[in-house]
Amino acid sequence: MAEIVAHSAAGMARRRGTRDFLVFILAGDLYAVGLTRIREILSPPPITPVPRAKPAVIGVCSVRGLLVTVMDLRRRLHVEEQPLTRRARILLVEAQSGEVVGLMVDEVRHVARLADSEIEMATSLLGGDVSEHVIGIGRPVGDVVVLLNLSTIVSA
Amino acid sequence: MSRILLVEDSFSMRAFVRSALESGDTLFTGVEVVEASSGFDALRLLPRGPYDLVITDINMPDINGLELVRFIRKSDQHKNTKVLLISTQSSDKDRERGMSLGADAYLAKPFSPESLREEARLLLARVTE
Amino acid sequence: MTDPTDKAREEFFSEAQEIIETLSKNLLALDASLREEFSDPGLVNEAFRAVHTLKGLAGLFGAASMGMLSHRLEDVLDALRLGRIELTPSILDVLFQAVEVYGKVLAAEKDPDEDAAPLVEAMLAEFDRIGAGATRDQSPTAEYDLDPGLLAVLTEYEEHRLRTNIENKMRLYRLRVQFDLATIDKALEEMKERAKRHGEIITYLPTGETASVDSIELDLLLASQDDLAMLIGALGADNVVIEEINRRNATVMPGTIKPAPMLRSRATSLPGKDEELQPLRMGDDTGLEASGSLKSLTQTVRVDIHKLDHLMNIVGELAIVRGALASISERLREEGERQLGAELQRLHRSFDRRLSEMQDGILEVRMVPLGQVFDRLARVVRQISRELSKEIRLVITGADTEIDKLIVEELSDPLMHMIRNAIDHGIESIQQRQEVGKPAAGTIALNAFQKGNHVMIEIEDDGRGIDEQALIERAIKSRKIASSDAKELSREEVLNLIFLPGLSTREEAGDLSGRGVGMDIVKTNISKLGGVIDVHSEAGIGTKMTITLPITLAIVSALLIRVGGQVFAVPLSSVSEALAFDASGVHVVDGREVMTLRGATLPLCRLDRLLRVQDPAAAGMRRFVVVASMGTRRLGLIVDHLYGQQDIVIKPLGRSLADVRGFAGATDLGDQHVGLVLDVGALIEEVLTGSELSRERKMYADG
Repeated sequence: MAEIVAHSAAGMARRRGTRDFLVFILAGDLYAVGLTRIREILSPPPITPVPRAKPAVIGVCSVRGLLVTVMDLRRRLHVEEQPLTRRARILLVEAQSGEVVGLMVDEVRHVARLADSEIEMATSLLGGDVSEHVIGIGRPVGDVVVLLNLSTIVSA
Repeated sequence: MSRILLVEDSFSMRAFVRSALESGDTLFTGVEVVEASSGFDALRLLPRGPYDLVITDINMPDINGLELVRFIRKSDQHKNTKVLLISTQSSDKDRERGMSLGADAYLAKPFSPESLREEARLLLARVTE
Repeated sequence: MTDPTDKAREEFFSEAQEIIETLSKNLLALDASLREEFSDPGLVNEAFRAVHTLKGLAGLFGAASMGMLSHRLEDVLDALRLGRIELTPSILDVLFQAVEVYGKVLAAEKDPDEDAAPLVEAMLAEFDRIGAGATRDQSPTAEYDLDPGLLAVLTEYEEHRLRTNIENKMRLYRLRVQFDLATIDKALEEMKERAKRHGEIITYLPTGETASVDSIELDLLLASQDDLAMLIGALGADNVVIEEINRRNATVMPGTIKPAPMLRSRATSLPGKDEELQPLRMGDDTGLEASGSLKSLTQTVRVDIHKLDHLMNIVGELAIVRGALASISERLREEGERQLGAELQRLHRSFDRRLSEMQDGILEVRMVPLGQVFDRLARVVRQISRELSKEIRLVITGADTEIDKLIVEELSDPLMHMIRNAIDHGIESIQQRQEVGKPAAGTIALNAFQKGNHVMIEIEDDGRGIDEQALIERAIKSRKIASSDAKELSREEVLNLIFLPGLSTREEAGDLSGRGVGMDIVKTNISKLGGVIDVHSEAGIGTKMTITLPITLAIVSALLIRVGGQVFAVPLSSVSEALAFDASGVHVVDGREVMTLRGATLPLCRLDRLLRVQDPAAAGMRRFVVVASMGTRRLGLIVDHLYGQQDIVIKPLGRSLADVRGFAGATDLGDQHVGLVLDVGALIEEVLTGSELSRERKMYADG
């Protein structure tokens, strides 16, 4: 089907062997998730705690009328929870179920386009304790970015 | 301001075409796109013309694009209307029939937004002369 | 400048989804027709059309896999409709598989992290195995005396259909029909339905000859086995002229289409209405059954449910404004401004009326037919019945019953669980059924209807029914009830044991059980939607589950309260009264705090403790008791503060919070704040049952 012209930008990126990631900070370290499922990035609105929810759940909030469950990504990954500053942001992501869930992070950095060559998949990482949520490590020019699996993070 | 009637039963296709027509500065006259989702809808909308350009898919259930072309060509009101046929590329027969019925141009799917804009621009340009 | 492809991409996903669903429905119909042993050639054609359209869209939007899949599937379907391949159940299986793969491919288009390539490869291999890729035959249409003008406007596709019919020795007819442009959709649908019973409609051709600007004349090309007389009898009417298109060497019929006069523009005079030839009348209406609801496709608007939510929010906020208006008019009157107060009051009333109307209007727009979810279930039934080698007959009624779109979304999982249970545990094997004289195929009946402000959904099977004894034993084993109390349970209470958590039959054979199809989750999900579920069963005869749901997650009146520093809403329909809390009136009975209210004992619940929300600032302050009730059970909720009544829109909590008990959802409180809505039923159950259970355990342990 060579005649079919690819118009999809993401598809084209994939064909060129690169993927876009949103890089952010948790407990001082760099993390990232695939850009495609991120719907929006916002400053935290008032969040209502949900009694008896799992510890990682901060609460629910309203985004232009849409009810969103907000999770503390630091708690989810069991990393240090420093007090949130004005730079904290909520990443609105689309879970597999279609539900929009919010992930609270310390700070959002930038979008990085990583080539396959700059990514080391988790399976090849030697030693210890690789969390189920880590897909791999990205090394764009000098940085070390932990690539996270959005699907496992927002499920369960 | 050019008036375009877009006849196509697939709504995402309509969105694609509308988007292609409305973006870009090549259609300097500005466009007003009216959508019809079936041949019948087109028949209902045609009397509200005349339209400068009718873009129609060929393969639609009920009244197909070829029948629509013939109908338009019989209409006094639309004697200056240009007709652009769009359809799946595999049918040369459709193309021949369409052109012999009086269509002005034919675009085979899949086409890029640029091709569509270019065709539309060429067809509409004659109108303003 | 955004690439138009990207902007329209959402529409593409949406339309692709719709087409896949239509295809699925279509295949189900084919499945049914296979079993009943009649065939509707139109069905395979429809499937072909759907795939053909998908192919075109896929090409346009750069969805390569989808394009490839569609291209090859199209070949298979083409071979099927031309009769080169016979449609058998196993071929149908392959087609169903293709639908699944389509779903995965679409998901992969939306999310490049997903990879459907191996699935597609496998699917294409299947297609190869079936041996599609047949070449198209050329067969003479010249045998028939068709007006070359007619042939010239047939698309290649339509010509195919024509050829096929000719090959099958069908007769060709032209029906010339006059329609009113204003009502053409409905009239044409009716015509189509009638004509379809006699054959296949190849195409519609506007003749270009009309008596007026408001009417249109169409030629329908019909291929049929019936003879002219029969067709005239069935389809004839004042505005219909039927002619047969004969083969050559027979009389040349007046079938040629004359070059038509130009359409008259409005300026010139039209024939007067009284001398009008064919007013629209489709013959006798008796005996004509319009199929279902004839909603004209061109008159519907596709709406994103989020837009409706947005509108709903605005209505909710306007309701707050309305409340404020009311209180201001009160104050004006109190402060002696009677005139102003009365005027404002009038305004308020009129505002209120309009707001209610708008609310109703929007709610109506959110309604969708349950058929949406029922169709999905039909596919599941087919899949499971094959997996388990059971024969299942699914009967669906009331698919037109409408309910709020958001409820429908949340219903498919619970319904699927229930059906899985019914097929796995309820329906016996073919052999077992025959042994007890039941038909080999088990029946599952899905029925839905509206009852007042509620929608009832019934799922009934004619299987073996619930084994009450086994259920009791399991409950005792899992320590949910004491064996001594087991005898005291009424039949209804026994059956309701299935809703206890942790009771799922993991030890039983059948790999479906392992998938966590706990009825407790089903019940929780249903109650989150504001509904209840009842179960009836007769051993050997079958089981029936009835779900009662509110028609919509409507705007409800609620009581706003504060507990532990947080604002919550309690639906007023579950509140009987609220009063000041007198701590001295509390005494303890069987380990539970209660108070006496007008002679009756009212169990109490300290909400702050139950929800584990503490507010040190509230200590020592005056508290209140909100008497919540559900059915015959009551519970007094101790809260810190009563704000008052407010209309709210309850939004369901997301799946991510499915494990949290006690909340029916959340609502906007204005100014971006969100308040949780209490699920009174769940709370009552949690508190009261908990106390009963602990009482049981105490007794069990003692003796």
